[in-house]
Amino acid sequence: MSRVLVAMSGGVDSSLAAALLVEEGHDVVGVTMKTFCYSDTPAHGKTCCGLDGIMDARRVADTLGIPHFVFDVEEDFTRDVIDDFVAEYARGRTPNPCVRCNSNTKFRDLLERGRALDCDRIATGHYVRIAHEPDGSHLLRGHDANKDQSYFLWGLPREMLGTLLFPLGELTKDQVRERARALTLATADKPESQEICFVPTGDYRDLLVKRLGTVHPALEAGPLVRLDGTVVGEHGGYAGFTVGQRKGLGGGFPEPMFVIEIRPERREVVIGTHDELFADRVHIGELNWHTDEPTVGSPVSVQLRYRAPIVAARVADRGGELVLDLVEPRAAITPGQSAVVFDGDRVLGGGRIVRAESGATV
Amino acid sequence: MTPVYLDYAATTPVRDEVLEAMEPFANQRFGNPSSMHRWGRAARAALDEARATVADAIGARPSEIVFVRGGTESDNLAVVGGFDALAEKGPATVAVSAIEHSAVLEPALRIEGTGRGRTTVLGVTPDGVLDLDRLHTSAATAPTLASVMWANNETGIMLPVAEAASIVHEHGGLLHSDACQALGKVPVDVREVPVDLLSVTGHKIHGPKGAGFLFIRAGRSVRPHLFGGSQELSIRPGTEDVAGAVGLATAVKLAVDEVATHSAHLSELHDRLEAQLLDRVPGVRVNGAEARRAPHVSSIGVPEIDDGSALLMALDLEGVAVSGGSACHSGSGKASHVISALFGAEDRFATIRFSFGRGTTVQEIDHAVDVTSTVLNRVRGATAGVAR
Repeated sequence: MSRVLVAMSGGVDSSLAAALLVEEGHDVVGVTMKTFCYSDTPAHGKTCCGLDGIMDARRVADTLGIPHFVFDVEEDFTRDVIDDFVAEYARGRTPNPCVRCNSNTKFRDLLERGRALDCDRIATGHYVRIAHEPDGSHLLRGHDANKDQSYFLWGLPREMLGTLLFPLGELTKDQVRERARALTLATADKPESQEICFVPTGDYRDLLVKRLGTVHPALEAGPLVRLDGTVVGEHGGYAGFTVGQRKGLGGGFPEPMFVIEIRPERREVVIGTHDELFADRVHIGELNWHTDEPTVGSPVSVQLRYRAPIVAARVADRGGELVLDLVEPRAAITPGQSAVVFDGDRVLGGGRIVRAESGATV
Repeated sequence: MTPVYLDYAATTPVRDEVLEAMEPFANQRFGNPSSMHRWGRAARAALDEARATVADAIGARPSEIVFVRGGTESDNLAVVGGFDALAEKGPATVAVSAIEHSAVLEPALRIEGTGRGRTTVLGVTPDGVLDLDRLHTSAATAPTLASVMWANNETGIMLPVAEAASIVHEHGGLLHSDACQALGKVPVDVREVPVDLLSVTGHKIHGPKGAGFLFIRAGRSVRPHLFGGSQELSIRPGTEDVAGAVGLATAVKLAVDEVATHSAHLSELHDRLEAQLLDRVPGVRVNGAEARRAPHVSSIGVPEIDDGSALLMALDLEGVAVSGGSACHSGSGKASHVISALFGAEDRFATIRFSFGRGTTVQEIDHAVDVTSTVLNRVRGATAGVAR
């Protein structure tokens, strides 16, 4: 049987993914990617790929009797993921580093190094499915709707899909834990990781200050304004805000206020009412497709945020950006987040949200 | 073929004779050598015997041997403790070769980093020529604690320890030599080479891990950096590891007794591997080919490899256990400080360290060459682009 490289973060999901592949009789090689220098981070252990993650992954690999290696991808990760994360916040957007990592770093490295190790398949513990069909390989939403992670994988290069295995695609999280316990994997009851792996303090602004310094415009005070430009207060740096955010806007408004836009060139954080948060036209850049691209006028489905419901849309334009018109307006469409285009359960591709607007304004 | 272990420079299995010698000290003769009663005396006797054995093996006196917990501790004690002793009398400096083990380099750089004295790093050429002029300059400024290894752990390159010693001595300094990779592979005798301090660890010579010694020539001083009881002349306080010392002594004696036959065996393996690789894999280089080298290491430079760690992993999966620079640094995929010091910055050049031991056979060497040439071709194609 072929040799499979499985990426093990040290969490229960990838641990079980490795175990299932071993059960199926594959020749399995486990790897953990070392993404940043742990000695610089005081509080490790809270996140998936920290130092404890490496140790947990190694223990599971030992239990399974498979070799385990650490891939040092610190340089690539810093450049492709952390630098981008910081730059996006500096531009007033809200990045999704997991998408960035999957698209640019993790899978490419796995594939390239996997080839060196004679591994013709790459596996991870993502809750997605992949169907290898004669007409190509299709990435599908995970069976467990609560855990589905297809949102994070639209950026995978199309030519790589044929090499991928996702052993957890048909399982629910509960089933994964149950099977991991039955196999007495050390990570069976490990809590879910919620933090961004390179922000162990849980507050990304600490990282921004470290990377940008406190005198950067993104971290300096600026005006809180209404859509019409009226200044209604001050904020402590626009990088601390994301579209849809309610906290940190001060009080004294007759109704609840939300961040509806960030204008970095004027350091403005635009706030408005819940109604003003809605938009029905989305501009999407940095596109990647797993299939032929949908043409202008064709109906598609789109997911605009992790765990958000899928929305019906129509391709309105395809110049430098893909423009989608949503069948019904959605709240808090956030520049920097991903827009993932589906056909039913199948991921067609996606991109990064550049901006959103109301059709009425066009 | 069963997996082949060619990483004896990383560590070695404990010999049966060593294990046997150690065993009684785990239980029957468990006493504390500092106790005055018969249990203590029984342990003390074994410790004395071990010390005499080690001293005899390297041409020293028993009072010149301090047992410590391994090579890193021995190196650290020599560098920091030797410098401290010099610095008590006035300004002092440090000089180390650029290819020292990090257990020497790091404490040396720390002395400079904490502002206690200048540290000079002495260049070494791929032919094994040490920059003795710079050593001379450093030594002439102020008494120098110099550390020049007997044989390098990554390449086997042997440095001119005796010449370095005479330069250092002219100006009242101390010469330390890390002989962890040398003992048992080449003759190491402190009567022949006038080192002041010498470090050896057990696990490179089929002894136990965590057991080593520091030779301190009579009349030379080393200040402790652990404080407590008066064990080991107060230079290394803490209840002695009698079993470890006995195991170490047994391993040292066997290694020294067998050095001639063992080094002949190693040389044969090493010549065979290098000749075959040079013949079969285009573009490879033997690092330090023209230098005087200890015979248990072949460091092979491989061009057109973007990621050396992938190469080592691939070799492991095919059953050939080797390391890159040194095992302590494996996994980063980058050139080690030793390879960089010898050859400068080289793009797309990886290093494989093959190292041989008592159990290594000619068949294993041939197999390793076959696997290496196959794996190299695969890795070259696959990782093009990893280091984007």
